[in-house]
Amino acid sequence: MSGYLVTILIFVGIAIMLGFALNLQWGTCGMVNFGLAGFFSLGAYTAALVALAGAGTLAATAAAALACAVGCALVATISVRLSDEYLAIMTLGFGEIIGLVALSEDWLTGGSIGLSGIPRPLTGLVADKNYEFLFLGLIIAVLIAIFITLELLLRSPFGRAVRAIREDDTVAATLGKNVISLRIKAFAVGGAIIGVAGAFHAFYLTYIDPSQFTATVTGYTFMAVIFGGRGSNKGLVAGAVIIMSLIEGTRFLKDAFDAIDAPQLAAIRLIVVGAGLILVLIYKPEGIASEYRLKSASFFPAADEKPAK
Amino acid sequence: MVAQVAFNGLITGLILALPAIALTLTYSILRFPNFAIGAMMTVGAYLAFVLNVLLHWPLLAAAVLSSIFLAAILSLADRAVFSPLRNRSSITLLVASIGLSFVLENVVRLIFGNTARSFDMQLGSVYEFGVIRANREQAFTAAAALTAMIAVYIILAHTSLGRAMRAVADNPSLAAVRGLDGEQVIRKTWVVTGLLIGASGVLAGIDRAIDPQLGWSYLISVFAAAILGGLGSPLGAVLGAVSIGVAEEMSTLVISPNYREATGFFAITVILLLRPQGILGTARLRK
Repeated sequence: MSGYLVTILIFVGIAIMLGFALNLQWGTCGMVNFGLAGFFSLGAYTAALVALAGAGTLAATAAAALACAVGCALVATISVRLSDEYLAIMTLGFGEIIGLVALSEDWLTGGSIGLSGIPRPLTGLVADKNYEFLFLGLIIAVLIAIFITLELLLRSPFGRAVRAIREDDTVAATLGKNVISLRIKAFAVGGAIIGVAGAFHAFYLTYIDPSQFTATVTGYTFMAVIFGGRGSNKGLVAGAVIIMSLIEGTRFLKDAFDAIDAPQLAAIRLIVVGAGLILVLIYKPEGIASEYRLKSASFFPAADEKPAK
Repeated sequence: MVAQVAFNGLITGLILALPAIALTLTYSILRFPNFAIGAMMTVGAYLAFVLNVLLHWPLLAAAVLSSIFLAAILSLADRAVFSPLRNRSSITLLVASIGLSFVLENVVRLIFGNTARSFDMQLGSVYEFGVIRANREQAFTAAAALTAMIAVYIILAHTSLGRAMRAVADNPSLAAVRGLDGEQVIRKTWVVTGLLIGASGVLAGIDRAIDPQLGWSYLISVFAAAILGGLGSPLGAVLGAVSIGVAEEMSTLVISPNYREATGFFAITVILLLRPQGILGTARLRK
C-alpha cells in the first residue's frame, strides 16, 4: 500500500512540475501552451535517448531541459508578434508533430513500442526496495528548487515585466520593455521545466511509448493551473494535488462497475477533465489562491494606517 | 499521376473549406478560435453514422438531419459553455473550447468505443475526365461542399442575418448602437456554423474512417486553412482550404504519408513568418 502511495505521489510531483511550467507560461505570461503533452514527450524521449547512450542521468536531464527550451523558444518566436491565439495553434501543431515523430521514426524512438531500459538516477545509493522513496525525495528536492527559482523570478524586474505585458503589451512596450524578447525567454524557461518533468517521467517508468503522452496530460495541467489560481505557485500545488486525486479516484470507478473497460475509463477521465475545465472557468475563474502582487504597503509601511490628525 | 493527386487534394480542400468557414465565422463574431471544431466534426459524423448505418437512412438524408442535430447541440453548448463566458478574454474562451473538445470527443468514445466505422454507401461508377478519375464519393463530396458554400455565400451576402453578422464582426459596439441584438446574431451564427460543421463531419467520415479522432486529425489543417485565408474572411478560408488540401496531398508524393498532418503545421509556420495576415485578412503585429 505504501508503495502505491509513493507511486501516486511521484506522479503528483511530475504533474506539479508541469503545472509550474504552465503557470509561468500561461498563468504569469498569458501564453497558452496547448502542446504541453508534446513538449513533455520531447523531454522524456530526449532524456531517455541521452541516458540510454550512457551519458548519465544528469546530462540527460539537462539535454531534455535544453531541447524543450529550444522547442518552446522556436514556436514562440514564430508566433510572438501575433495575438496569443496563434501561439495556441502553433504549440498544438508542434505537439502533434512530436507525437508523429515518436510514432513514425522507429529507428530513433522505437515507434509504438517505445524505448525501454532507461537508466534511473542515484541507483547505487540505497537498497532496491527503498529506491522509490529516494526517487520521491529527489523529485521533492527538485520541486522545491524550481519553486524557489520561480518565486524569485516572479518578484524580479523580469517577472513584473512579463506580467505587465500580459495585462497590456502596448503599455509595457511604451515603458521601454522589449516585449518580444521577454515573452520568448519566459516561454523558453517554462519549456525547460517541462523538459525536466519529461526526464523524471522517463527515469521513473524506465520505459516510454507514445501512448503515455496524450491530451489528458495537457488537460489536467490546465485544470490544475486554473483551479490553483493563475499565477500562484502555492495555489498550483494545491490544485495539482486535488486534480490528480480526482483523476486517480476515477480508477475506482472501474472496480465498482465491471462493465467499464480501459478505453471507457480513459474516456470518462477526459470527460471529467474537460467538464471540470469549463466549470472552473465559469464558476471559479480566480482559482483558490491569488497571484503575488506588490501592495502599496510594501512601499509605504504606514499607508494602511489611519492618517494622524 | 500528379494531376490525380492534385485533384484528390482539391476534394480534401473542399472538405476542409466548410469547417474553415465555420472557424472564421465564429472567430469574427465571437472573437475566439474554436478549438472544439474537430470534436464537433466527429460528433456530426457519428450522428450521421447512427442514422445511416443503424437506422438505414440514405446517406444524403442522414447528412442533412445530422447537420441539423449538430446545430442544435452547438446551440446548447453555446448556452452552457460560451454564453456564461461571453465577456471574458479570448484566451479564456479558447481554453474553454478545448475543454468542450475533450467532453464531446470522449462522450463519442464512451458510447461507440475506438473501433473505426464507415458509412453505408454504394460504391459505383467512376467518372473519367481525361487523366483524372473521380469516384462516387468524391462527386458526392464536391457537390455537397459546393452547395453548402453557395448557401453560406447567399446567407452572408444577401440576407439581413448576413448583414447583421458582418456588422457585428466589423464593430460590435456600433452594431449594438444601431439596434442589432448581438446575442441573437451569436445564436444564429452557431446554427449556421453547426450546419457547416455537421456537413463537413459527414464528408470527413466518407473520406476517412469514422473514429473518435476523426475531427481532431483535421484540426491543424482547418486552422492552417483559416489562417492562410486570413482569419475572419470566409472567401479567404475557401482559398486557404483548397491550397492546404492540395499541398497536403501533394506532400505525400515526397514525404511519408505519416507526416501528412505536418504539412498543415508547416504551412502555418511559413504563413506566420511571411504573411501573418493571410491572403485576405488583417492582423495586428507586435513591435
